[in-house]
Amino acid sequence: MASSGLLLALGLFMGLSVTAHAAPLDEPLKPLPPVPALDPKRVQLGQRLFFDPRLSVNNTLSCVSCHRLDKGGADDKALSLGFDGKPVAVNTPTVFNASLNFHQFWDGRVDTLEEQVHAVVTSPTEMGNTWETVVKRIADDPGYAKDFANAYPDGVTKPNIQGALADFERTLLTPNSRFDQYLLGNTDILTPREKFGYQRFKEYGCIACHQGVNIGGNMFQKFGVMGDYIGDRGNPTQADEGRFNVTGDEADRQVFKVPSLRNVAVTAPYFHSGSAPTLERAVEVMFKYQLGREPVKNDTELIVEFLKTLTGEWEGKPL
Amino acid sequence: MRALRRFGLLLVGLLLASVLLFMYVNSSERQAASYIESRDLIRLLKQQDAIWDNEVLKARVALSHNYDPLVSPLHEMARLWQRLDIIESESGRHAPSLWETQRDEYLKAIKEKTRLVEQFKSHNSVLRNSLAFLPTAEDDIQAEFAQLSDDDKLQLQSVVIDTYDLLLSSMEFSLLTTREMAAEVLLGLNRLEVNKERLPVNLHGSIDILSRHIALILREQPRVNELLEAVEAVPVSDHLDTITTLLEKDQEKAASKYQRNHVYLLVFATLLLLILVWLAIRLVRSFGEIKRVNKALQTANDELEQRVEERTRQLKDTQSELMDTARQAGMAEIATNVLHNVGNVLNSVNISTDLVSRKLRNSKGQGLAKAMQLINEHSHDLGRFLTEDEKGKLLPGYLNQLVEAMAVEQQGLLDELAQLSKSVDHIKDIVSTQQSYAGANSLVEPLVVSELLEDALRMNAGALTRHHVTVIKDYGNVPRVMGDKHRLLLILINLISNAKYAMAGVSNDARNMTLSATVVNDETLQISVKDEGEGIPAENMTRIFAHGFTTRKDGHGFGLHSCALAAIEMNGHLTAHSEGPGTGATFVLQVPLKLAEGEP
Repeated sequence: MASSGLLLALGLFMGLSVTAHAAPLDEPLKPLPPVPALDPKRVQLGQRLFFDPRLSVNNTLSCVSCHRLDKGGADDKALSLGFDGKPVAVNTPTVFNASLNFHQFWDGRVDTLEEQVHAVVTSPTEMGNTWETVVKRIADDPGYAKDFANAYPDGVTKPNIQGALADFERTLLTPNSRFDQYLLGNTDILTPREKFGYQRFKEYGCIACHQGVNIGGNMFQKFGVMGDYIGDRGNPTQADEGRFNVTGDEADRQVFKVPSLRNVAVTAPYFHSGSAPTLERAVEVMFKYQLGREPVKNDTELIVEFLKTLTGEWEGKPL
Repeated sequence: MRALRRFGLLLVGLLLASVLLFMYVNSSERQAASYIESRDLIRLLKQQDAIWDNEVLKARVALSHNYDPLVSPLHEMARLWQRLDIIESESGRHAPSLWETQRDEYLKAIKEKTRLVEQFKSHNSVLRNSLAFLPTAEDDIQAEFAQLSDDDKLQLQSVVIDTYDLLLSSMEFSLLTTREMAAEVLLGLNRLEVNKERLPVNLHGSIDILSRHIALILREQPRVNELLEAVEAVPVSDHLDTITTLLEKDQEKAASKYQRNHVYLLVFATLLLLILVWLAIRLVRSFGEIKRVNKALQTANDELEQRVEERTRQLKDTQSELMDTARQAGMAEIATNVLHNVGNVLNSVNISTDLVSRKLRNSKGQGLAKAMQLINEHSHDLGRFLTEDEKGKLLPGYLNQLVEAMAVEQQGLLDELAQLSKSVDHIKDIVSTQQSYAGANSLVEPLVVSELLEDALRMNAGALTRHHVTVIKDYGNVPRVMGDKHRLLLILINLISNAKYAMAGVSNDARNMTLSATVVNDETLQISVKDEGEGIPAENMTRIFAHGFTTRKDGHGFGLHSCALAAIEMNGHLTAHSEGPGTGATFVLQVPLKLAEGEP
């Protein structure tokens, strides 16, 4: 009996060790999908536009001004500054992996990246521009006109500019994070503390909202399930009403899109208002106001360590 | 008529073509193909909807912690719907606004379901989290109890039981969400709040956390259940079924239309076939007709040819006959001509012989015979007789007179015989001229026109005298000319003879015929014969020179004809003038003037 049990254990162990590096784990978190195959001409145009300040009315801001690709796809400010130098309403979310979010913006007011481009370009606090101006500026540039004519049958148009930018953003995935490697079966890549952190992440219920392929970004949730964070924080603003501003539904007050936790370690400050300067603080707020739990001893630390394994690579380099 | 027919044909052609076009447009098979695709899309949509529902339920029973599958069916459905919408929005597929209504209803339902699912996700996630936490919370509390002293434990036994009961009723509530259970949980929560006061302070935190989570469950569980029911109640699938029914109905309609078109097409094809057959029959018929006509034509042609041949032969025969006749007629004409001319001259011959014979009959020669008889009777006493006898004495005088008379008589006879021989010469000339008629050779000799005229008159002298015609001679100063004496004579004799006849029927006394000869413009010799006879009616003016034309009972119509011919043969012409019947007529002969040698 004992020997047969030993044999079984051995068999299981061997089976595990054999599959350790091959079989993806079945977890609530899912590895990043591959970068989609898109027309490289369009993607390249999108990239140029992404860096082009002519999108803003006074030629001061480009997409990359706030979505800095060297700063985790966002900036380090709580609230970025618009074309007029005044702070915008909410914290800039990262552009990386944004294509995996089910809606765009904190309040999820648009469904697609194309619409997101439109909203930002024409926002009176962000780029403050009109499409008439943007299309004219781009079309007047011979280089752009030529490349657009090559990439699109109808040349420079509003939908084509939106499409090019959106296509570029679809390529902004950050694969190869250590946690993704873990999910893909390389279980040795995480340290025990990180694995513990992941376990705590699941146990405390963070997983209830931060799950799926983007570790968040697939549902709306009230900010303050177990407490009034905004009230405790003070200085409530219109933006704090979240999705209510979109739907007008009382049930949607202070409801936000659950943000993705990919690359969370490099996208401080946190929350829609940028009111949490550090990851630790953000985790603490989540414990208190969302989970209604008291973390045991250094569980916060462990979770933060786990969160740091979510940082992926862009152009072959870690963010 | 022809244009009308053509227009009619064109109209019929256009009509057929437009009917064909109409049928082609109507009988597109796209409807059927796209119907199948639409049905397939709806099937896929329903499948995705079912997957969605399934994922919602999985999330509800905490089988899944990943909410991505609650998002992805929506994307897939949006994509499928877009394809379906493109197909079905095509105009003419459905009755107006029917599809739009269905589409709007479906989109509304989808929007509502999405909204509910989003809320479900939010509420369900926190509910699941709290439910999952309950045993841990309980464990935490129990662990803290365990650390208490035994006295306290005994004292707080009921609290522990109450807490445990609350945990159980909360779990039960999550499975059986009824008002009673809710009341029980609420009761348990209140009891926990009361019990908390009896517990040490260090336990308060854990109790608070537990009660917060149970309160959340109490709040969220009915909400989640409601949402779930609402999600299930959203009639996405029903709308898809309605759309299917609509598609089916319209497809049925389209199919029946297609069937009808099929029948129409069949009828049309039959019609076309009939037209084709009719045309073929007509073609065959017209071929037969053409063949028949061809045959008839061939026959007619053959007949015609035969007739032509026959007619040609007849014509040939006739021609040869005609030629014979012509030859005979020519011969007759020549003979007539000759005889006529000869007859004219014979007149003169007749007169001359008459005169000669008469003169011979009354010859003084008989007186000589009587004188000789007297001499013979007195031959014995001839001397006495001649000297003494009364009668004898007269005899020598008588003989002298007789000699003189006989000399005169002889002279007259000689003259008359000369005239006779001239006429005979003329006859000879006429004959010889006729003999060489074809050659038309003419003998040109020096002529004195007045002599010529006199000859002509002399040859008609008897007749002129008989008819009491007075000849007025108006011979101008005409020089000697070179001319064809016989032709000129022939013409003149004819003209004089005609003039005489023309005046024969005129009863008035004066039968004047004027003969004149002049030279016109130094190049033409003009001789005219003017009578005061019956004249020529205008209608006959053009015919009088024609061969065979005559107004006389015993005339043969050759005189003037031969005269005109003769004038032409001399490079001249013969013309007639008359003011009309009863006014007389003038015939004018003009020939080129050729002076004889020696004339100035």
